[in-house]
Amino acid sequence: MEGIVLALFVCLVLAIITKYLSIPPIPFYILGGVLLGQSGLGLVTSTELSKFFSQMGLIFLLFFMGLELKLERISANRSAVITSGVIDLNINMLIGFLAAYFFGFSILESAIIASAFYVSSTAMAITSLIENRKLMLREAETIIWLMIFEDLVLIIFLAIISAGDQNPLIFFLKIAGVLAVLYLIAHYGKEFLISILDRSDELPILFTFGAVLTTASFSMYIGIPETLMVIALGAALATTDPDAFEAHARPFKDVFLVVFFVFFGITMNLSGGIDYFMITIISLLAVASKFISGILTGIFIHGSALSGIEIWGNTIGRGEFSIAIAALFGAPLVATVIAAMVIVTSIVGAFTAKYTGRLRRWMSAPGRRVHHHRGH
Amino acid sequence: MALRSVNLPGVGTKYEFVTEKGDTIAIFFTKTGTIQMYTLQGGCHTPSAAEMTPIEARRLGNILTGAIIEAESESVEIAFSAIADLRITIHTYTITKNIAGRTIEDLQIRTKTGVTVIAVSRKDKNIINPPPSFIFEVGDAVVVIGETDQLKKFERDVMVD
Repeated sequence: MEGIVLALFVCLVLAIITKYLSIPPIPFYILGGVLLGQSGLGLVTSTELSKFFSQMGLIFLLFFMGLELKLERISANRSAVITSGVIDLNINMLIGFLAAYFFGFSILESAIIASAFYVSSTAMAITSLIENRKLMLREAETIIWLMIFEDLVLIIFLAIISAGDQNPLIFFLKIAGVLAVLYLIAHYGKEFLISILDRSDELPILFTFGAVLTTASFSMYIGIPETLMVIALGAALATTDPDAFEAHARPFKDVFLVVFFVFFGITMNLSGGIDYFMITIISLLAVASKFISGILTGIFIHGSALSGIEIWGNTIGRGEFSIAIAALFGAPLVATVIAAMVIVTSIVGAFTAKYTGRLRRWMSAPGRRVHHHRGH
Repeated sequence: MALRSVNLPGVGTKYEFVTEKGDTIAIFFTKTGTIQMYTLQGGCHTPSAAEMTPIEARRLGNILTGAIIEAESESVEIAFSAIADLRITIHTYTITKNIAGRTIEDLQIRTKTGVTVIAVSRKDKNIINPPPSFIFEVGDAVVVIGETDQLKKFERDVMVD
């Protein structure tokens, strides 16, 4: 118990400092955790309670992701979403996979590293667009849809990896069964759900918490991944009143997710030593591969490589979903590589997001035309 | 002027329109609760942005529509180009308990100060041109019209009665 309190206190201080400097807090929570935990000072160890809290953090993160998944909106501008999504997926997955495989990871481990390498941090991208006042840029919408596309790929990835050695037919039947129940509840119980959410007492928040926990534990009980099912729950409830659900789930997500990040750092096992060379190369490649996919997306969608710089600058940061992948599937060495990549890319990303405007102006300045520039 | 509204997942709602002169204005109601307004002059590539709290945004809206709806005290001076020396001020006040329960007639507002109460906003209701028998309640936002001197007199003689 004292461990969690100490960890949360450290996170609170880190949150205040990072908000003040307007840089992403996630890498600092992880570093704070490493410092407090078994690979650092050894002040905090993982307990049953901290494990439960961390799991809640992950579950609420994914529930939130589900709430944001409004598939009908994607179909509105499908071709642009798919073009940018496919470019981003192919380039980053490929580079990530080859890099990991080159360093001697198994095919499965390489696939895990590749997907963590691929998925940018939605939270960081959106915060950076808002804080750096870039929402009006035409690239902003491309970036937002790219994040949604990545989330969809992540869901498919979770489904494939979690199926593991179960009988795939029974596995997918079970999933389809739960999905059907969730959508029937959301569809026929819509009026009832909205009447609960409209109340001003403790009922809405209790219901939200209960629904997420029940879905997660029921999924575990029947042997299907709870991660997928809470996303599905979020997507089903998004058809009723997503804003109300977000408002009620936000406090849980905010607190538990911080616990999740800091305990990810605390339980990180660095006893195998750190291969600084490999970590540096993979982190640099993570920055470079988003550059390639960003420039290509800029050229294909906006007809301008400079637009690509903007897309690159705001999507470098890997964050919550990469850590989630590491926590769910990563062996210690894989988790270390992913954590290092998150720390490097999110800090680099925070700076590039601030200065892409200046970079673009510099590159398009007359007399300094560089080969990236293709005009508007 | 075609207004385009888009719901951006994770961000909020965007409203955008192009003015007749070719400038673009975009407003974002973000999920963080703030409102961002961007303006992009026709032919330019870099928009300028301002971030507002909901209260500030409402205030901006009031200025743009030319109305005063807010309950707290503020004033607008009106000048007409054809009558250069005529300056009218419209001011809002909030009724405190020292004049609550009294009527416009009984306070002799117009005879004593020269100003006219043109509207009262009570909770969600607006009363335009309240009759002399109108009874004030604590928290009423009153809109008063007059010259600056008359308004000063109103503040001194009636509001602090």
